[in-house]
Amino acid sequence: MDIRLNRVELLRELVPMQGIVERRSTIPVLSHLLLRAIDDRLEVAATDLEVSLTSSCEAEVEEEGAIALQAKKLLEIVRACEGDDVALSLDSETQTVSLAAGKSRFKIRGLPADDFPTLPSLEADGAVEVAFPTFKKMVGKVFFAVSSEESRFQLAGALLEQREGALTLVATDGHRLALVESEVEGLEAADSVLVPRKALQELLRLEDEADLHFRRGEHHLSFTVGRRQLICRVLEGTFPDYERVIARDNDKHVVLPRQSFAAAIQRVSLLTGDRARSIRLNLRDGELELTAANPDLGEAREDLPCEYQGEELSVGLNPDYLKDFLGAVETDTVRLELKDEDSQCVAYPVDGDDRRYLCVIMPIRI
Amino acid sequence: MSRIHILDDRLVSQIAAGEVVERPSSVVKELVENALDAGAREIRVELVAGGKRRIVVADDGCGMDADDALLAFDRHATSKIDSIDDLERVATLGFRGEALSSIAAVARVELRTAETAGEGQRVRIEGGRVVTVEPVAHPQGTRLEVASLFFNVPARRKFLKRPQTELRHALAVIQGYALAQPEVRFSLRHDGRMLLETLPVSADQEGLRARIGQIFGAVLARNLIPLEAAVRPGERVAGFVGNRQTGRGRRLFVYVNRRLVRDRALLAIFYRTVRETWKSDAFPALFLFLEVPPEEVDVNVHPQKAEVRFRDPGFAGRVGDALRAALEQARGEEPAPLATPVAPPSMPAAWEGLGERKQPLRDDGGTWRPLPGGEVSEVREGAVAGGDELADGGARSYGRAVEPGPAAGVAPRIAQPNFTPPAPRTVPLSGRSGPPRAFRLLGQYKGSLILLEGPDGLYLIDQHVAHERLLYERLRRAFADESTPSQSLIEPQILELGPAEALRLSELAPALEPCGFALRPLSGGAVALAALPADLALDAAERLLQRLATAEEAIENDPGALRRQLLDDFAASQSCRAAVKMHHPLTMDEMQALISELFRAEQPYACPHGRPVVLQMTDVELERRFGRR
Ligand SMILES: Nc1ncnc2c1ncn2[C@@H]1O[C@H](COP(=O)(O)OP(=O)(O)OP(=O)(O)O)[C@@H](O)[C@H]1O
Ligand SMILES: [Mg+2]
Repeated sequence: MDIRLNRVELLRELVPMQGIVERRSTIPVLSHLLLRAIDDRLEVAATDLEVSLTSSCEAEVEEEGAIALQAKKLLEIVRACEGDDVALSLDSETQTVSLAAGKSRFKIRGLPADDFPTLPSLEADGAVEVAFPTFKKMVGKVFFAVSSEESRFQLAGALLEQREGALTLVATDGHRLALVESEVEGLEAADSVLVPRKALQELLRLEDEADLHFRRGEHHLSFTVGRRQLICRVLEGTFPDYERVIARDNDKHVVLPRQSFAAAIQRVSLLTGDRARSIRLNLRDGELELTAANPDLGEAREDLPCEYQGEELSVGLNPDYLKDFLGAVETDTVRLELKDEDSQCVAYPVDGDDRRYLCVIMPIRI
Repeated sequence: MSRIHILDDRLVSQIAAGEVVERPSSVVKELVENALDAGAREIRVELVAGGKRRIVVADDGCGMDADDALLAFDRHATSKIDSIDDLERVATLGFRGEALSSIAAVARVELRTAETAGEGQRVRIEGGRVVTVEPVAHPQGTRLEVASLFFNVPARRKFLKRPQTELRHALAVIQGYALAQPEVRFSLRHDGRMLLETLPVSADQEGLRARIGQIFGAVLARNLIPLEAAVRPGERVAGFVGNRQTGRGRRLFVYVNRRLVRDRALLAIFYRTVRETWKSDAFPALFLFLEVPPEEVDVNVHPQKAEVRFRDPGFAGRVGDALRAALEQARGEEPAPLATPVAPPSMPAAWEGLGERKQPLRDDGGTWRPLPGGEVSEVREGAVAGGDELADGGARSYGRAVEPGPAAGVAPRIAQPNFTPPAPRTVPLSGRSGPPRAFRLLGQYKGSLILLEGPDGLYLIDQHVAHERLLYERLRRAFADESTPSQSLIEPQILELGPAEALRLSELAPALEPCGFALRPLSGGAVALAALPADLALDAAERLLQRLATAEEAIENDPGALRRQLLDDFAASQSCRAAVKMHHPLTMDEMQALISELFRAEQPYACPHGRPVVLQMTDVELERRFGRR
């Protein structure tokens, strides 16, 4: 390998790779990036065996070749160097790369490229196309409800469902469920797939204005944005029948200003119990009272004017779950749909851009 | 007049009956064994009021002729052995000729039996007295009805438990035989309701797996690893161990020649092998089926035939080998690679203790070799070989580097003068009385110890033990409260249990409700969990329930007290299991959270099992070691 390329361009590809390799790996080669010079470009790849990210940048290639270099060190070096260009040349005898940039010279010991896991490749047929910023926003709206535990009951991932003209993303951790649906032109075949949490998390980190091409293989999913391709395994499992879960008969509706609601929750939840966080929402005509109590510390209460007419109602909820929703939703006002103490609270944006966005939060009974 | 006299016959048989018949489930056991000995392909059991009112066991076995139908009730009447030599080779489940006579002595019994369909015999016996003998039309097979158990022994009758409890014991018995006899169809009806029904399957491994699924649900059946062993002719070691997912509750079934045993020696082998192979006390499910030639095993060492003795001392070792192989296979849970990597990906560098490093080398094929320049493993190995090397060797080799400059006449001390002088050893970490003191988080050592800089020294905190302590306190507090906030679930979670386990859990449901659990029994041995204590993870909740469902202790005595005790001891075991493990890197935030909660704990110094949480190296000690004092 003997190449020369633009330093900033290389840097731009090295940064998103870090999230993949960062994982606490005990297999040395997985903390490395695979660099492969081929044709007129340098391909970069990272994997933790669950999720892999590949990309490339233009390069003047004198001699093709490949090597695995420690991801973090390489990033630090390329970032710290001066000069517009970086030159990399590999001594395959010693598996050492000489890196030259500005006036600096580095010799970096690497691992043979053959030690790097072979990454799966996915063919391009059946790609779904959606603007990446739209997709990223969707992920942001349900990500908080993706379980971080992977157990018999819990799927550490979100359900991605395509239907004619619409793309839906649903996540649940058993206590709550978030669903977002956007209109997407040109979708046809109905299909659904479980996307692992880690893949969603890495997608959230990518910055790109391009379109996202999403493909599903037999065992893998691929998300291509520009030159970057993220591939992950399909998560196996059955996702709950979410439409059946969402209550339709919640007849007590309350409309609230998002920001002051969030701020009130924030204040009141300062005095929730230590082991189980819960606040109470007490609804009366035109008023929402939030209360919290901590047996050791004391109590908190806040009244919030709101649009509500109907019977009095009191329900216990985890304030963090409300906050997650209020943090993800973009509208100025939100609507909670309630029924009684034992039934779920369904939160919606009022006049949002999404075709559909909601968050079901299960109550806490005391 | 002499005070010693000979007991009358009926009293003798009543006393003898006490050894065989303890409760309805013992009757079920004897009758099911008889049916199996008679070669039945189908056994139907019906109970009324947990068997206290009525027990019916009907089979399609060989049946008895008119003479045997009466003889069967005589003490020591058996068709199964003739001589002491036979006793050496018992292949049947029964051989004492005691069961029927014992049962007939303490209940109202009706026997209907026929060797040839249509030409049957009906015998009625009450309290050991024959009441009726008459011909009756009956299909081939035998039907025994045992009503009013202990009607003539009130003292015994008083000791019987509630119908639900008796039913649970009976269910456990039937479940036990159903596992051992996959080719036999079993059914159990209680008060008219079908509780268990197993269709016949083959007797090979896959049949066994199917039968386990029929009883405990498909999830468990899927999580089983078959046992295989190199055995001698005539021997068979078959069955399954569960993988990691099954490490909840106690589902341990050991059979010798299709007889369910509770042999301590065999179980000890299992426990030891799990500890060695998994380095864990999370014992998985075990279904172990051993077969040896009858003369190779002594089943007559225990009145309930629960223990066995093997003539060949090597046999236990072969069983151990089979267990180890399966457990090793079950352990391999590392994520499989995306595609085949050149280097096997699944060898985490694990340390056994803090000191030694387990070699991440595999010698099976030699594709893996230590990679140059990758990690700092060599450094680690050297530095931690002995606890003292860091202090002694390290100080020596770096001695020159830290030589104080000429201006410093005295070596600077680590302890700063503005810190209050440390009260030796008994440092309250949190100022429970008095102001809290500043600690600085330094980081993590080998993903196992959290290092803190305190005003008076260096603190080492065992993260696993610390976390365990916190979880324990949290759980205990949660359970102590009269009511616990209860988090409803989006969808009820279905716990697949066996029918007996589901029954026990349903019994406990009312007691568990104030703890925050909402449980609803479903048909077919499943229970739906609709809400759980708000601070308990779903998995942890499931483990708790599984444990309660399979606990061997009697729960019925004092539900309140027992619940507290069970929950407390669960809290201890649970928190150990859920606690972060050693060699698990934590972020600074995670460590910070752990430490601040630890300092608020009731007892931050020792885990529920008594291991220390915190070690302190005082500044004085450090200085002495660095030769500055
Ligand atoms: N269901 C049955 N079908 C056919 N024969 C039976 C059945 N039940 C009992 N018998 C006959 O009655 C005899 C006595 O049964 P019993 O259970 O009292 O003694 P056992 O089975 O020989 O020994 P143990 O006391 O160890 O059970 C048996 O040996 C058998 O011949
Ligand atoms: Mg018998």
